[in-house]
Amino acid sequence: MTNESRQRASAEDRDTHDSSAIVFEGVTKRYSDGTVAVETLDLTLPAGELTVLVGPSGCGKTTTLRMINQLETLSEGRLLIGDRDVTSVDATRLRRQIGYVMQHSGLFPHKTIADNIAVVPRLLGWDKTRIRERVAALVELVGLDETLARRYPHQLSGGQQQRVGLARALAADPPILLMDEPFAAVDPIVRTHLQEEFLNLQRRVQKTIVMVTHDIDEAMKLGDRVAIFSQGGKLAQFDTPARLLSAPASEFVVDFIGADRELRRLALERLDSMELDAGLTAPRDEIVARARSYLQQAGSGGIVVLDEQRAPLGWLDWETLKQADDRARIDSLPLKAWRHRLYLHDNLRSALNALISSPGEVMPVLNAQGRYVGVIDQLQLTRRLS
Amino acid sequence: MNSDFMTLIAGVIDWFSQPMNWQGPGSIPEHVLEHVTYVVISTLIGAAIALPIGIGLGHSGRGGLMAINISNIGRAIPAFGVIILVFLLAGFGVIPVIVALVALAIPPMVTNSFVGMREVDPAVRQAAVALGMTGWQRLWQVELPIAMPLIMAGVRTSAVQVMSTATLAAYVGLGGLGRYLIDGLAVRDLSQVLVGAILVAVLAIVTELLLAGVQRLITAKGLQ
Repeated sequence: MTNESRQRASAEDRDTHDSSAIVFEGVTKRYSDGTVAVETLDLTLPAGELTVLVGPSGCGKTTTLRMINQLETLSEGRLLIGDRDVTSVDATRLRRQIGYVMQHSGLFPHKTIADNIAVVPRLLGWDKTRIRERVAALVELVGLDETLARRYPHQLSGGQQQRVGLARALAADPPILLMDEPFAAVDPIVRTHLQEEFLNLQRRVQKTIVMVTHDIDEAMKLGDRVAIFSQGGKLAQFDTPARLLSAPASEFVVDFIGADRELRRLALERLDSMELDAGLTAPRDEIVARARSYLQQAGSGGIVVLDEQRAPLGWLDWETLKQADDRARIDSLPLKAWRHRLYLHDNLRSALNALISSPGEVMPVLNAQGRYVGVIDQLQLTRRLS
Repeated sequence: MNSDFMTLIAGVIDWFSQPMNWQGPGSIPEHVLEHVTYVVISTLIGAAIALPIGIGLGHSGRGGLMAINISNIGRAIPAFGVIILVFLLAGFGVIPVIVALVALAIPPMVTNSFVGMREVDPAVRQAAVALGMTGWQRLWQVELPIAMPLIMAGVRTSAVQVMSTATLAAYVGLGGLGRYLIDGLAVRDLSQVLVGAILVAVLAIVTELLLAGVQRLITAKGLQ
């Protein structure tokens, strides 16, 4: 490849990439009765990122979402996808290029799961083989069992139906995906699971995603960027979750994020971003007298006892050590267990939670193989927040 | 009383077993054929008028209440009155009968098809729009298939009602199974009246079963 053609190729890449950025320019939505749903909104949703629109009910977040695929019309302003003005594009053609996932899956009850997923490819006139292959790939992508493909929507659970809804939206591989409270109607356990899978999926497909939610936790967890709307369709702040927490633009944003703002900040950082203390440890075959001297030297209230694989066995505190026979092995003493296991990939909020219930003042941290790597204490977390 | 009843039953059995009642002019097959012809023509014309109205209004969601009210008023008008009225206006012939039966067939089909279309889950409707279906695609691929059980219930109600009311044709000198009722009453031959009644009842049941079969055939498997 010549230098010139390489440049052209990368320009083309950038074009297709940029062509799915969504730009609101002074967009207002006013209903005929005079209520304003969205007021002079200026907002650029970057291509390939997941933007979450969040706010109290009636703040215009859903209207904003629905303007993108012309389910709602604009009263004023311009709405561009890449450099195309959406109002200049035929609505049905536009919608076939934009995936749409809704709160209640909205699956067609008279069609099988496979036929539901195949709706948009059929509208686009794909041939049968191509549709069949695409449906099979999607069923796998969203983590459904392939035997479900021949079933009907009412035979599936709520979580499964949402997966089908997602598969249907992704069917024609649209560059843009709109999601209107996609996880709101499933129970909390399934929701957490779906959210995590969805994040993994997004890392692979890298679509421009716009998601509406009223749940600030969900917004902070999923969004690359979060747009917080206030009542009357005004944009209060548009930023990354970390920036929203560290530099909220107004009282409204502070209130909306909630009183536990500090905890949310902890949730955004993982233990592997911290410098862990080596901590005080002893192998299980250590004798009491030696362990006692370690503790006295370190001025610590207890010691982490490790097994042969360096996995923590339990916490041995000074009270227990003090009364024990000098020559006894420490693993013959009553060790205190931890209620939680903390891994390097856990976030600092989980770390705090584990610390609170820890029998000692520190909490051991494990690597992915379950081996001890160090300890964390409350002081370290507090320092991180300030 | 008891022996009267036995005589009546014997008369009915006698009627059904006479070979002359099974062929030629005025025979059972001829009257059944006439009767079924009135019913099929009226129900088809009624459906051709009622279903587009009910489905169209249900699809657009506008003017539905008015349509239902008008068709309910239609139900209150006696079919016999319509027959006499049109008979006086248009004169002798099959037209007054068909007009009356069509008027009778329309209301249940308008109401049911309208309600069937409105009952389609709004989320499903919205999904169809959001996926990029045109108005016609939404109608044919989503709304009609989902509304089909209720639409067919309306067709069945209409057809069965028309089947029993088509006996009125005999009042204006036409054929059909009403002949047995009118002629039997005229000569006080209750056996003949009962023969007519039994045949109408059997035809009504057959109609219901046939249409239920059709409904099964054209309703999507996921909705059954």
